[in-house]
Amino acid sequence: MRVQVNARNRGYEFDARPDEKLLHAGLRGGIDLPYECSTGTCGTCKATLIRGRVAEGWADAPGKKFLKSGAREILMCQCVAEDEVMLEVPKFVHPMEPGACVPEANAGTVHRTRRLAHDVTGFSVELERPCDFDAGQFVLLAPTGVVGFRGYSMCNFARGARELEFVVKRKPEGHFSEWLFGANRDGERLQAFGPLGKAVFDPGLGKNILCIAGGSGIAGMMSILARAADERYFERHSAWVYFGVRAMRDAFYLDELAAYARRFPGKLSVTLALSEDDVPAQAARERPELGFAKGLVHEVAKRAMAGKYQNLRAYVAGPPPAVDAAIRMLLLEAKLTTDNIRYDKYS
Amino acid sequence: MAKRLVCRVQDVADRELRECETEDGMKLVVANAGGEFFGFQAACPHQDVPLCEGIFDGATLTCHMHLWQWDVKSGAPLGIAEAPLQKYALAREGDALYVETCASALGAAPLFSGLGAETLAALERLAKREEFPENGTIYNVGDPAEDFFILESGRVEFLIGRGEHMRPAGFRLGRGELFGWNALIEKQPRRIARATCRERSSVLRMNGKEVLKVLESDPASGYVVMRGLAELIARYLAGDAPRS
Repeated sequence: MRVQVNARNRGYEFDARPDEKLLHAGLRGGIDLPYECSTGTCGTCKATLIRGRVAEGWADAPGKKFLKSGAREILMCQCVAEDEVMLEVPKFVHPMEPGACVPEANAGTVHRTRRLAHDVTGFSVELERPCDFDAGQFVLLAPTGVVGFRGYSMCNFARGARELEFVVKRKPEGHFSEWLFGANRDGERLQAFGPLGKAVFDPGLGKNILCIAGGSGIAGMMSILARAADERYFERHSAWVYFGVRAMRDAFYLDELAAYARRFPGKLSVTLALSEDDVPAQAARERPELGFAKGLVHEVAKRAMAGKYQNLRAYVAGPPPAVDAAIRMLLLEAKLTTDNIRYDKYS
Repeated sequence: MAKRLVCRVQDVADRELRECETEDGMKLVVANAGGEFFGFQAACPHQDVPLCEGIFDGATLTCHMHLWQWDVKSGAPLGIAEAPLQKYALAREGDALYVETCASALGAAPLFSGLGAETLAALERLAKREEFPENGTIYNVGDPAEDFFILESGRVEFLIGRGEHMRPAGFRLGRGELFGWNALIEKQPRRIARATCRERSSVLRMNGKEVLKVLESDPASGYVVMRGLAELIARYLAGDAPRS
């Protein structure tokens, strides 16, 4: 199907495959259409339908609350073209930069599923076709037979990656997490689309790094740390990682984080923030490389980071309330400019 | 337009934002910057998110959704914001704040954000409001380019090329955005596109030469407008990569 998108600065034309979401078709064509979650929640990909018909994938998508009723507005991440379609997008839209990792459809097989905490599972996906992505990006995954994609950040980093690593937190009524926790899924097939997301780290950044993660938001930070460590980034720059969970039993990746802290002493510090429990004395004894503090992760970061905000890029990921609180702190306390706040809301 | 009560000063604490509504249903967000009060459109020009939920440090207003930012004194866009905020002048009497103007789209025009109040008022006097029906043509390819336009409401489509080669230029205007801007540029006497209203639309028509005359009398404002115009043209050029 032929699709025309009129943005504020110019128009674009591209073809959409049958059953392909409008957003995916445009992104696959190298057009940097606006999106954030790409799974029907945030409303960022809204567009006005000028001509043509679309079929809506998810009638109850929470992101529809951002659409004006009666204005023929749609979410591009949820709609499929049924004939020639013309859309208007109220933003400046540019072609992706040369060298950008252009997303595409892929498929893969689940393996190495492993429990990381009582409600967190890690798993790997062996891809059919290798995939380039930037550290901090995510892909959309859907098991065959489960309706609707969910976005998950890669935890590893590799160019031409054959294997992607993920973590999933168990969520009641989360289709993907129920599927994953419901049985051993090793060997099962997944559909994928990606990579997506703008909260990316590139070693050319030349700034110190602050990572604030809530729960499974640590996933993208692991990819950023892997990339930075590979490039010997911490010889020249510092990094502070704040990882927020409720209690010790919710924490994971502590061995990996402690290994980074040992490898780059004085350059990379990792602090686990416990929002509900006091810090057990034993935890601090067992892992002397890590810092521990009680409090919400953005508050723990605020207390410890005062005076260290020069030449800094912050990465924030986690549940929306945690991300919003951290962004507020970074604007009001740290006085960071918005181009130095990269975030990913796990909505 | 009669003055309308917006709120009391004590309703908005220092460094806070509050959404207020006048008796006749006009919504504003009021910002208190150390006892100085500023009024703006209540919803973010990006995704219509209420700005009262945003973040305000006393100087910069940030929409929490996608971190668009504005200067609280002018409503001018900062950082990644792609549009200014429409500002409403607030008048204080005792502890009451009033809004007086029923501002035209000129106040929301990115090109004119950050101008002196007098110059803005002089420009406002030059603007003539015109209504076009659905499918009405505002100008055609080859027409003399004496006036430029600011969109107040509705939807305008641009077609470039001639005859059977005519195709949509494909860009979309928001309220307050300018088109036909070659009327502000030397040696661009003719239209290169056709502008057609795709729905009933209201525009402000302004004569290019008269506007330039006003700007010449206030070179500081003229400089701001010309910088804005250069940015506007650069933005269109940057977007003009080959079609995929």
